[in-house]
Amino acid sequence: MFLAWNEIKKNKLRFILITGVLMLVSYLVFFLSGLASGLENLNREAVDKWEATAIVVTEESDKSLPQSSMTLDDIDDIEAEDTAVIGQFNAIATNGGKKANVAIFGIEKDEFIMPDVSQGEAFSKNNEVIASDALLEDGFEIGDTLDLSSTEEKLTIVGFTEDARFNAAPVLYGDLSTFQRVKFGEAAETKGDQINGIVLRVDDLSNVTDNEDLEVVEIETFITNLPGYTEQSLTLSFMIYFLFVISSVIVAIFLYVLTVQKISLFGVMKAQGVSNGYLSRSVIAQTFILAVIGVAVGFALALITGAFLPGAVPVSFDIATMVMYGLILIAVAIMGAVFSVWTIVKIDPLKAIGG
Amino acid sequence: MAILELNQVTKSFGTGHKKVDALKETHFQAEKGELIAVIGPSGSGKSTFLTIAGGLQTPTGGEVIINNQNITELSEKKRSKIRLQEIGFILQASNLVPFLTVRNQMKLLDQVKKDNMTKEELTQLYEGLGISDLLDKYPADLSGGERQRVAIAKALYSNPSIILADEPTASLDSDRAYEVMELLQRETKSKKTTTIVVTHDTRLISYCDKVYKMTDGEIRLEET
Ligand SMILES: Nc1ncnc2c1ncn2[C@@H]1O[C@H](COP(=O)(O)OP(=O)(O)O)[C@@H](O)[C@H]1O
Ligand SMILES: [Mg+2]
Repeated sequence: MFLAWNEIKKNKLRFILITGVLMLVSYLVFFLSGLASGLENLNREAVDKWEATAIVVTEESDKSLPQSSMTLDDIDDIEAEDTAVIGQFNAIATNGGKKANVAIFGIEKDEFIMPDVSQGEAFSKNNEVIASDALLEDGFEIGDTLDLSSTEEKLTIVGFTEDARFNAAPVLYGDLSTFQRVKFGEAAETKGDQINGIVLRVDDLSNVTDNEDLEVVEIETFITNLPGYTEQSLTLSFMIYFLFVISSVIVAIFLYVLTVQKISLFGVMKAQGVSNGYLSRSVIAQTFILAVIGVAVGFALALITGAFLPGAVPVSFDIATMVMYGLILIAVAIMGAVFSVWTIVKIDPLKAIGG
Repeated sequence: MAILELNQVTKSFGTGHKKVDALKETHFQAEKGELIAVIGPSGSGKSTFLTIAGGLQTPTGGEVIINNQNITELSEKKRSKIRLQEIGFILQASNLVPFLTVRNQMKLLDQVKKDNMTKEELTQLYEGLGISDLLDKYPADLSGGERQRVAIAKALYSNPSIILADEPTASLDSDRAYEVMELLQRETKSKKTTTIVVTHDTRLISYCDKVYKMTDGEIRLEET
């Protein structure tokens, strides 16, 4: 640390540049990871809110809730500690001024997927709904009457709930009968038992049902099958992985150049008997110092940027993931330094002193 | 008892008609407390002799014994340790670390090795070399002579049993050169170290106990 730190102090500009590059790379990694988890949340928030272990959909729906269609009777085929029925329907809602793509969830008020109301009150009558507070940010308010794209029915917002988007669409929670009227219009009378799925809290997934037409899907599997979800997270993950590789290469090149410049100096020290181990540790320590500073500044910058971004950009920083990525970046930078260690070991002290 | 011993040491570079015998068969012994000068024209093999004696390069033949240890057969790693523990080099080229202040040049040695000089001894050393006012300067801010004196301080600071100096006074004016020789003499006598100084400057040999003359790779003791 002694050599490493003194060199940094003396050659500030040089090391500020390297740290700056590391900082930018880590900033990008952190920001992308924020974007990745933001996009994931956008899709899965409403599902996470259920705190459920599984969902039952029809076999033929291929794990897609909108494509799954069953009746209330199907509950009889299911054995689970706790169940909640759900009807789901997508529509465009407008309050006269603003328009929004929404997901309508038809639920039973006394079952566990009933959301906590953060503002206003719960629905109590037909066509009353609790809305995702994402709509609040979009300019919708309590008391707004919503026209829907595919039906004559109108809904009224009576309350808001937090973190409730399903596949990027803000959710409107209403009674099952509200959902059925919106979905089936005139025919609602005869379709009064139609639902899309049954959400479960259950410890053992294997014995939930014997019904061959139904499929029990673990919640995490259900989420990864949401349209676009896996593609989006994979794309961002790949960008992050590439950045890890790129940053290790950049650090390796930088340190290699620095080390080559110091070959004669290292040679002189080796002539005096300073060991390869000491010099190598010094290079590694230097990388560690630079990487920690770069990553810490990148971390802070990412959080600051996140705070100033418009709400439309879906960033959400998961500190645990970021800390993990930060540690990976530091480790990867140190791997880059290992090349220089090899250079140091090869230096012939005699050549360096040019006796 | 000899602290440094070279037995039948030879060193040649290259092969065939390009072969250069930098060092012909050499026998050499140095005792504790001796200040030895090696003089000779350029290209006569003085630096080769010094680097082999200090374990910086291996001889083509023969053996080098430092403090009862035959270093000829040792790995570079072990020789490196011996250099650190036993030898203080004062090189032709500056051997200072450019990003360390004079004070920190010494501290670096504390980092890698024990049993260096005490604080008082170091202060005296600085004064003896006239560098007490330069302690917070970097090598780039020093004159050639000042750098050389710091290099000498660095070599002495580690309390080596052998000091090997390759033209240590080359960049100094004569007054400074005499002072440096006096200092090396004092250190050699008071600490019972062995000092070998390679030099062109025949005026400096009056400080030395023995003078060797090097010609074409052959080393011979001069009568004084
Ligand atoms: N690494 C080397 N490769 C080839 N020849 C060398 C090498 N080092 C020294 N020599 C040759 O050995 C002879 C002695 O060199 P050196 O010990 O440097 O002499 P001095 O220090 O007395 O000027 C010279 O002829 C020099 O060219
Ligand atoms: Mg020479």
